[in-house]
Amino acid sequence: MKTRTMLGGLSTALVIAACTSVTLAAGKLNIVTTLPDLKSIADAVGGERVETFAIATGYQNPHFVDPKPSYVLRLSKADIFVTVGLDLETGWVPPLLNSARNARIIMGGEGYTDASANVPLLQVPSNVTRAEGDIHVYGNPHYWLDPANGKIIAQNIYQTLVRLDREGEAYYGENLRRFNEKVDRKLEEWTAAMGPLKGSRIIAYHNEWPYFEQRFGLQIVDFLEPKPGIPPTPSQLAKVITEMKRDRITVIITSPYFTTDSAELVARNVGGKVVTLATSVGAEEHLRTYFDLFDYNVMMMTEALK
Amino acid sequence: MACSKRRAFGVGVCKCSFRFLIILLSVRTFADAQQDTTSEADSARIKELERQVEPGPNVQPPQSVPRTSPSLNPDISAIGDFRSSYASEGSRRIEVYFNELEMQVASVVDPYARAEFLFSFGKDLDTGELGIELEVATLTSLSLPYQLQATIGKFKPQFTKVNPLHPHYFSFVDFPAMVNNFFDGEGMFMEGASISWLVPNPFEYFQELVFEIGRVGSEPNASLVQGIDNRLLYVGHLKNFFDLTDEATLELGMGGLSGPNQLGFSTLMGGLDITYKWKPLRFNTYSSFTWQTEGLLSRVRLLDTDVVQTWGGYSFVEYQVEKRWFIGGRCDYSEFPGIEGAHDRAGTLLLRFQPTEFQILALQVQYTDRSYDSDFAQVILRAVFGIGKHGAHTY
Repeated sequence: MKTRTMLGGLSTALVIAACTSVTLAAGKLNIVTTLPDLKSIADAVGGERVETFAIATGYQNPHFVDPKPSYVLRLSKADIFVTVGLDLETGWVPPLLNSARNARIIMGGEGYTDASANVPLLQVPSNVTRAEGDIHVYGNPHYWLDPANGKIIAQNIYQTLVRLDREGEAYYGENLRRFNEKVDRKLEEWTAAMGPLKGSRIIAYHNEWPYFEQRFGLQIVDFLEPKPGIPPTPSQLAKVITEMKRDRITVIITSPYFTTDSAELVARNVGGKVVTLATSVGAEEHLRTYFDLFDYNVMMMTEALK
Repeated sequence: MACSKRRAFGVGVCKCSFRFLIILLSVRTFADAQQDTTSEADSARIKELERQVEPGPNVQPPQSVPRTSPSLNPDISAIGDFRSSYASEGSRRIEVYFNELEMQVASVVDPYARAEFLFSFGKDLDTGELGIELEVATLTSLSLPYQLQATIGKFKPQFTKVNPLHPHYFSFVDFPAMVNNFFDGEGMFMEGASISWLVPNPFEYFQELVFEIGRVGSEPNASLVQGIDNRLLYVGHLKNFFDLTDEATLELGMGGLSGPNQLGFSTLMGGLDITYKWKPLRFNTYSSFTWQTEGLLSRVRLLDTDVVQTWGGYSFVEYQVEKRWFIGGRCDYSEFPGIEGAHDRAGTLLLRFQPTEFQILALQVQYTDRSYDSDFAQVILRAVFGIGKHGAHTY
């Protein structure tokens, strides 16, 4: 009797579920991205034909985002999922996708988009060991911090959009062309502004700037973290202070989600300054697009190194 | 203790298990060698792509090629749990022991499902025997319609908030007395099927309904046994999750179960849980706070007319003081299934240090007031350390 009651309850629940279909945004593709940078690019390419949502905020450490059930709900309704990939989100994306009950957006699904595809990667390790800290086996994953890679990300998103929405191909293609043109135009502007700083030696808190460094010809000579993901140690800080004094380095760049105590300690000891750059769109309230991100970072660097 | 269920396993089984472990590790080594080769090929490809992408305004990158593992080998991880303890009573008050090696193998099976196997190697403190147990072996769907997800195999059922967790993921060194008294030191396992449903609701909040059916795992626990007739174990749980703000969440859960007990009658249980979590978005690795409370009610039928109702519960808080330091406190009260007038009351303090996400060092001090025996105090030092690729845990 009890068994019948429980099975009856379950059947009723299933019938209710069958009758309550999930409503997608009317006529629009529903895109969920891991980072706001990907959202910004998806907005640019998808335009009016998409609705977008980014899981992480721009001032949140993207390695450590809580896989909240509310994100599962978002993903369960998504047509497209865009990820940075390269294991950047390995601590939180797998449990979300595994629970999302959405075959379209899991790896191999038609809506799964690895934004890193075809990005020329830096710092691909030849030897993989956790003795080196939080290294990424496929290469440094912070590739969106080179604006030229933004075009590759846009291309990857474009391909997924066209695959799912053939009718919008011309529209997406035009948006992609405009986005790429703007990147090229802004890149000239940013490169010109950063030109005088080429070869400038700086210190970084965490190893997340190699793409930015390479694009604008900076030279990051050391990090406050002794190894990626390992908090600064007194010996590492002493080593950095010595290097900065010896080589007359005055700038330490850090990210919004790291406390600045250790960076400021070093800066005080060498008479230098700490510059908190934006690692993602939304790191500061006024940074609303992918272009704002680089406008801000270029402005901060030129101010700091002039 | 947790190891008591391993007594039935002998040394012969152990040898087979370690052979299996060696084979798994060999496969992993081979996979690493493949990966090195692939890295070289990848570097060459990157150089080629750099040439294509670097100049010019209208570069069209070639066809997308996802950067994922080139191997079909599953994710393999090993997590060790070493402990040293001091108890205020007993002839052997100081213990130093390797509590458990948990070995997980997990992978996607095909576009429709993923599988997970979890082996536990541990020493029984009473007999000193090393044993192995298959704790989890599941096949979970990835693409059922109507927001459904099904799991079959052996797993930890979704009854109470803490039972589905594996010990290394729980904040404290031991599970609450409620779990220990009503089930087992590591909670309850079952073999059967589980189906969960994301319940659509007009308020667009996360609501998940889980229904599970099967039998208690191979070893009986304090409340339930596999049984000798056709009566099965039924488990249900409803989880409600709310984002209070971007930085705070509230989870409310309720569940129930019904299954055969040792006397051939039925045990009915119900549970309620509430969890509040806070974590700042900006400095999300430096501070956090969790408050979790739950209770369960047990009705054990001993005879046709004799029903014993008992209950248990706990409440804990945990605060992250710094990036790698956590402190916590827990209050426990728990009676026993089918026994009236006996209870444990315990107070626990915790200090936890996590050098990285792959290593945890914890010091726990616990005082237990037992209504049926003398009070006792215990200090436990635990080191948990993991290698390999271990799947991230759910929130």
